[in-house]
Amino acid sequence: MPILEINHLKKIYTTRFNGNHVQALTNVAFSVEEGEFAAIMGESGSGKTTLLNMIAAFDKPTSGEVLLDKKNIVAINEKEIAAFRRNNLGFVFQDFHLLDTFSLQDNILLPLVLAEKSYPEMNACLESLADKLSIRDILSKYPYEVSGGQKQRAAIARALITEPKLILADEPTGSLDSRSADALLRLFAAINTEGQTILMVTHSISAACHAKRVLFMKDGEIFHQIYKAAMTDEQMFQKISDTLTLMATGGVKNA
Amino acid sequence: MLKTLYPKLAAVNMKNHAKVYCPYILSCIGTIMMYYFMEMLKRNESIGQISGGETLKQILSLGSYIIAIFAVIFLFYTNSFLIKRRKKEFGLFNILGMEKRHIAKIMFYETLYTAVISLIAGIAGGILLSKLMYLLLLKILNFEVAVGFEISASSVLSILLLFGIIFLLTFVNTLRQVYSSRPVELLKGGQVGEKEPKTKWLLTMLGILCLGSGYSIALTTESPLDALYMFFVAVLLVIVGTYFLFMAGSIALLKGLRKKKNYYYQTRHFISVSGMIYRMKQNAVGLASICILSTAVLVMVSGTVSLYAGIEEALRVRFTRNISVQAFDISDEQAEKLDKIIKQQLEEQHMVQDNAVRYRSISMLAYQEGNDFLTGEVEYNSKAAAITCIPVEEYNRMENLSVTLQPDEVLVYALKGSITGDAMQLGDTKFQIKEHLASLHIDGKETAMLRNSYYIIMPDIESIENVYLYFFEDEEITEMGNLGYFYGFDIDAKPEEQMALTYALDENITALGLNSTVEGAEASRESFYSIYGGLLFIGILLGLLFLMATVLIIYYKQISEGYDDKERFEIMQKVGMSHEEVKKAIHSQVLTVFFLPLLVAGIHIAAAFKMITKLLAAVNLTNVPLFALSTIGTILVFAIFYIIIYSVTAREYYKIVQ
Repeated sequence: MPILEINHLKKIYTTRFNGNHVQALTNVAFSVEEGEFAAIMGESGSGKTTLLNMIAAFDKPTSGEVLLDKKNIVAINEKEIAAFRRNNLGFVFQDFHLLDTFSLQDNILLPLVLAEKSYPEMNACLESLADKLSIRDILSKYPYEVSGGQKQRAAIARALITEPKLILADEPTGSLDSRSADALLRLFAAINTEGQTILMVTHSISAACHAKRVLFMKDGEIFHQIYKAAMTDEQMFQKISDTLTLMATGGVKNA
Repeated sequence: MLKTLYPKLAAVNMKNHAKVYCPYILSCIGTIMMYYFMEMLKRNESIGQISGGETLKQILSLGSYIIAIFAVIFLFYTNSFLIKRRKKEFGLFNILGMEKRHIAKIMFYETLYTAVISLIAGIAGGILLSKLMYLLLLKILNFEVAVGFEISASSVLSILLLFGIIFLLTFVNTLRQVYSSRPVELLKGGQVGEKEPKTKWLLTMLGILCLGSGYSIALTTESPLDALYMFFVAVLLVIVGTYFLFMAGSIALLKGLRKKKNYYYQTRHFISVSGMIYRMKQNAVGLASICILSTAVLVMVSGTVSLYAGIEEALRVRFTRNISVQAFDISDEQAEKLDKIIKQQLEEQHMVQDNAVRYRSISMLAYQEGNDFLTGEVEYNSKAAAITCIPVEEYNRMENLSVTLQPDEVLVYALKGSITGDAMQLGDTKFQIKEHLASLHIDGKETAMLRNSYYIIMPDIESIENVYLYFFEDEEITEMGNLGYFYGFDIDAKPEEQMALTYALDENITALGLNSTVEGAEASRESFYSIYGGLLFIGILLGLLFLMATVLIIYYKQISEGYDDKERFEIMQKVGMSHEEVKKAIHSQVLTVFFLPLLVAGIHIAAAFKMITKLLAAVNLTNVPLFALSTIGTILVFAIFYIIIYSVTAREYYKIVQ
């Protein structure tokens, strides 16, 4: 059963300056099954971020629909969208987006506070995550006191604490060194094994090969996709790399 | 091309930073205008000619000094604030290949433009509105003097000098900032997290201690004389306490709130408490200054307004009769002569006296200990009391009564201070108090004194002499001499006629060679108006100036915080905060920052109220409801201004954060 379904998604930006139209998404259609770990790859300007913004409901598409658990989020009005996002989606960003004025614990609890949960409830949620993400020791620290990897783990905890249907990760390894990046991806894989659906946008081949499926975007469309199935990480790396080369040199669409 | 590049760049920069430059230039203009008014008025010829004009000029020059000092501090502070925010921009210019001396050149033109615009607009505005100000002052002073339109060249010169120096100073400071900026700062951006402020318990305790003792002094001081001395101590303690509490106390409180999990982890409190902890770290000093400034404005304006509004009443308290004659140590024959002169003068001027009051008395200073009046240190001492003794036959004559007193009996009238019970001691003699009088028709001179003052109706001259000699023992005075004489009366005549009579009486009585004074309410009215009116005038002007400063400081603080908060609110929106919630959170934050100083200022004033009424009583204003009314009025007007600025600032802030 697909948890996320995207049909004929199209987005045209009109530049404010001279009214030119820029087509960011031409016609995107794909679906993500429950419990899947999918990655979207593509060059800068291929429409990855626009697509993610549509799914996150940060922006409205020109046409088409985004169905999250059968509900069309394009049709949700402004008032309910915040709550909807809070309850159904978890975000992990490249630059962490942690608030400096809060300790890591408070950063993680923020979505629950916004959802007006009681403190004991929140604490219970946090307890169950603290060990899994090995962040117990740094909970009382502030974002500027910990390393990038630790920050990203806290950000993941914040994304997971509402038990969302879907985690959206935008270049989650972009600001991390290779070792932290590797640890983070293994963490993603582990969470995924427990049943969490993850959709990740990335540039990095080594990040993408941890996913069960990789979608390739080019010029606002889904260009190609690869299933990892029984492939090892190395084989997957090779396959992705070949595909990217093919795309860059102008290969034939083979979706 | 290259020659015009820098001036052009400077102009473009100013246009791009209009949001911060406009309020700065406007406040420069405002300050220059006010300085011009003061300078122009204090140089005005016709003001010097009115009665009390010299005092008025002194008040006005005091006002212009305050404005000058204030202008230096305030404009320098605002400018350095502006420049600090632009350090990144300097870094960018640097990276783009501009040398520091080029940036300095641009900044030179920016300062030049600011100076030229402010000076031209300020002086022009000052000149245009100076006539209005002059009329306002005259209106306040209750005078009618014909005025022409005049431009005070020397005032313009002194403005150019003062503000030239100020702008030069700001430019030097800008240069310092330019040369100390590094391109690295640009690259680092805002990524450096700020440390959470520590809780400083010692400072908090000290703050509470200072504020508490300041308040308790204000609330427990009873004697006006003590109030005068202790007022400055109390003010100092409150200022120190306010700074400490804003700096340390606020953080201690917020951190305490954060520890209360059930309170802290609620949407409403979560964001504002954590935000405020950081905000207080950066802004505590600024907010405390705003609080002190607002308190100063409110006290100054409400004080001067009520003094002014109470002039007529103060006149009546000070001058119980329209015209009064007072003489010391005169014999009965001399007193009769004096009466004759008054009668004669009244006839000459075709006037009839009304409410005449005449009595003979003698005064001495004593050291009051409860109901006992002894010799002791009476200079600048709150236990000093003036005792005026009146023989009972004089009392009977003035009040039209026929009271008889036993040799050890007295009647007591307490003008200021209190005597309780039915016995008192004057020097070495004990007296029974037959009656506490509720009123007495006396001369108003004592009302102008800070010390306690009592009128004692004594059984006979001998008992008065006995007491008198006791108090003057040390000065080797062996006999009392004659009593003094007071003769006061009202007349129904025009102010000019009353004044003429006052001067005529003074001339004739002085001719007798008596130790005497003649006072007229009318003759003093002008000087009352020039002093109190002058105070009101600079009270209003300085009030406006301080208000402007307060507003500008808050505006800049909010704007600069808006840029810092922008990112925070973006993140919060991404993790599921709605527009509405963001708006609410912004609202509560701005509201707190804005109204916390005003609230504290209100509390300060409430605490200071009693003490200020004591001080005002020392300058003849005893009408407490009037002062309360003008305080409330001033606070309301201030709050209205404040709310307007608040709504403008909140809008700008919201625009930035969105």
